[in-house]
Amino acid sequence: MDLNYSPEQLMLKESAARFLSEVSSFEFRRQIIASEAGMDEEVWRGFAELGWLALPFAEENGGLGCGPVEISLLMEEMGKALVTEPFLASVVLAGGLLERVGSAEQRERVLTPLIAGMSRPALAHMERETGSDLGCIATQAVRDGNGYRLYGRKALVLGGASSDTFLVTARLDNEIALFLLPAGAEGLARKTVRLVDGSRACDLMLDSVRVDEQDLVSARGGVLPEIEAAYDRATAALAADAVGCMDALLAATITYTKQRVQFGQPLANFQALQHRMAEMAVKCEEARASALLATLSVDAPRTIRIRAVSGAKAKVGRASRHVAQEAIQLHGAMGYSEEMPVGSWFRRLYAFENSFGSTAEHLARYGAIVRDPAVLAGGLLREPEAY
Amino acid sequence: MDLLLTQEEIAFRDEVRAFLEAELDHDLRRAERLNPSFVAYPEVGRKWQAKVAKKGWAAPAWPKEHGGPGWTLAQRYIFDQECERAGEPNFRGASIKMIAPVLMRYGTEEQKRFYLPRILSGEDLWAQGYSEPGSGSDLASLKTKAMRDGDHYVVNGSKIWSTLAHHSTRMFALVRTSDTGKKQEGITFLLIDLSLPGISIRPIRSICGTHEFNQVFFDDVRVPVADRVGEEGQGWEIAKYLLEFERGGSFAGGALRALHSRLLKLASEPLPDGRRMIDDPVFAVRFAEIATDIDANDMLELTAMSKVQAGGNPGSVPSSTMKILRSRIRQAIAELAASILGRDALRWEEHRPLHELPEEPEIEEERKVASALYFNSRSQSIFGGSNEIQLEIIARTLLR
Repeated sequence: MDLNYSPEQLMLKESAARFLSEVSSFEFRRQIIASEAGMDEEVWRGFAELGWLALPFAEENGGLGCGPVEISLLMEEMGKALVTEPFLASVVLAGGLLERVGSAEQRERVLTPLIAGMSRPALAHMERETGSDLGCIATQAVRDGNGYRLYGRKALVLGGASSDTFLVTARLDNEIALFLLPAGAEGLARKTVRLVDGSRACDLMLDSVRVDEQDLVSARGGVLPEIEAAYDRATAALAADAVGCMDALLAATITYTKQRVQFGQPLANFQALQHRMAEMAVKCEEARASALLATLSVDAPRTIRIRAVSGAKAKVGRASRHVAQEAIQLHGAMGYSEEMPVGSWFRRLYAFENSFGSTAEHLARYGAIVRDPAVLAGGLLREPEAY
Repeated sequence: MDLLLTQEEIAFRDEVRAFLEAELDHDLRRAERLNPSFVAYPEVGRKWQAKVAKKGWAAPAWPKEHGGPGWTLAQRYIFDQECERAGEPNFRGASIKMIAPVLMRYGTEEQKRFYLPRILSGEDLWAQGYSEPGSGSDLASLKTKAMRDGDHYVVNGSKIWSTLAHHSTRMFALVRTSDTGKKQEGITFLLIDLSLPGISIRPIRSICGTHEFNQVFFDDVRVPVADRVGEEGQGWEIAKYLLEFERGGSFAGGALRALHSRLLKLASEPLPDGRRMIDDPVFAVRFAEIATDIDANDMLELTAMSKVQAGGNPGSVPSSTMKILRSRIRQAIAELAASILGRDALRWEEHRPLHELPEEPEIEEERKVASALYFNSRSQSIFGGSNEIQLEIIARTLLR
């Protein structure tokens, strides 16, 4: 057991913070989210140059072979910097899934341009009706000669507004199969959706979209557990993003109350407010601890993974709501305006709470596991064989 | 970075489990289950301490030279987890965890040689003498006076909330030796034999019905100067050292998990009307939320431990966070457990200790102690630096 970050990991965090503070000021972010694309191509190229787009992928796939800890460090900084470029959607979610289920040819085809910053894949799995049961999708794949035709609708495809490649799930002979589609495929209609945190997603309509056999990524049972694992990895990463937002909100609140003078003294002099900020710090620490557990468990067996990831989603969700609301309150009317970044972090955390399953859904998923007395009584340290 | 046990740690864990399986008998476990307090009944604690001491494990944090096992932090963590899961009586209070590290750090060779073995064997039981009727959170304002008179200090005043002082042989106390200068600088650390003339002890029963606290009065009590720890005026520094010492090495996760497991058992049993609380959606939400809090606390403990292992300091914000979080978790569990009782919550068993009563089925006994556990849990956010003091510490760090 060791929970200390390595010097390399701390350097990554520091360089990420430095880079993002240079390229992603609050003013810049306001312009970006007001723009058509909701993201900046130059920032994305910066990610590629820094190697961030290669981070989680194995060396044999052209990646850097880093793990979830490095991803979480980047995500924390991206949360702080209010990044809207689809790193989570393209690299962690879509790229991460394809690396695990794609053939060598498909990995080469998708991951190489992704790592180079030339392509952004997006996972199109969830539909309007998909709730906590990830298997609940209606999109159909019908055999058509030596290929398939896809029919259906996908809702809120993260990173989908600017992606050139979709990983689309559909029912094929009553199993869930995964297909690769270019964004320009005939019969594929994309509608950009603006999200509450300023980023962009899309809805997809698939009307007899033709797919070749070579674009079938995976079928026959195996893909749904992989999709679930991919969402869990993304959820853990997003929890780190949320922790970054919480830290930023606390820091902003401290700065603000130190310089805002009322009744002849800085607000930070009032004990009633000091204790509320201290309570925010308590919630930040708790959330950080939970998020780290999720990060360190995404590659563990399913029960351990779910317990850590859903536990963190629920815990960070609850803690982040407290911190976000308190930050607004302690900023007073200024916190309620769009002119200060507080509101942006507030909305980003609201998006966190409602991404990849709500706080309540994850609490239920977690609760079903810890109701087992053996799981509840067992601590968090585990035997290496558990992997 | 990982959460993995090494092969040696797994072997160690199994050895601890085997020991507990063999030695922690039914009566000891039952006595602890029926104990609403955070410390074991002295006779129960002594019985268990004797068994653990025979194995050489009575003082997990002590180095080998003083008769401890010389364990790593990870071993101590595992040991604590296993003991708590098994439901051991908690006897390692003020003696093993508080005064012993102080003596090891600040005591003279003679003090170490005399006192440490007596602590290890259970011959001496120590009480803490910090708080006073007029000095709680503002501890440095303490007024119990120690006037130098030749080779003795003459002590006058009163200490309060001294846990188990009525069973203790000795007390370590912060006393005032000077009224000039900063109030912290006039404080001295004394070891006081509780059998000395001039000492009287008044019991204070807590709302959980148990006598654990006391007020101790000193009326011209003559304490040898040889029983001073450190220099005159060094008492505050020593008290602070003890707080620091606890950081990164005090674990509550095992105890919290054990309490939550008991709650799960209680909630899984059908109530008189046939319902099971664990099937109640509102209950299930609270139950799961508390479990996420316990996981977070565990991660905070492991993080602090990792920092200490790497030669660092966990820092005041995480340390105070843990203190607050742990108290809230204990209180939340106790409250939720008591909420299961329904009208039975009105029944009150006055007899103490509860384990002297005729044995009943485990669930009935859990129901019998639940109210008292809830009442007792309210102390968690008060002692050892109240939650308000912890928030104060955090705020001072944040707003520096």
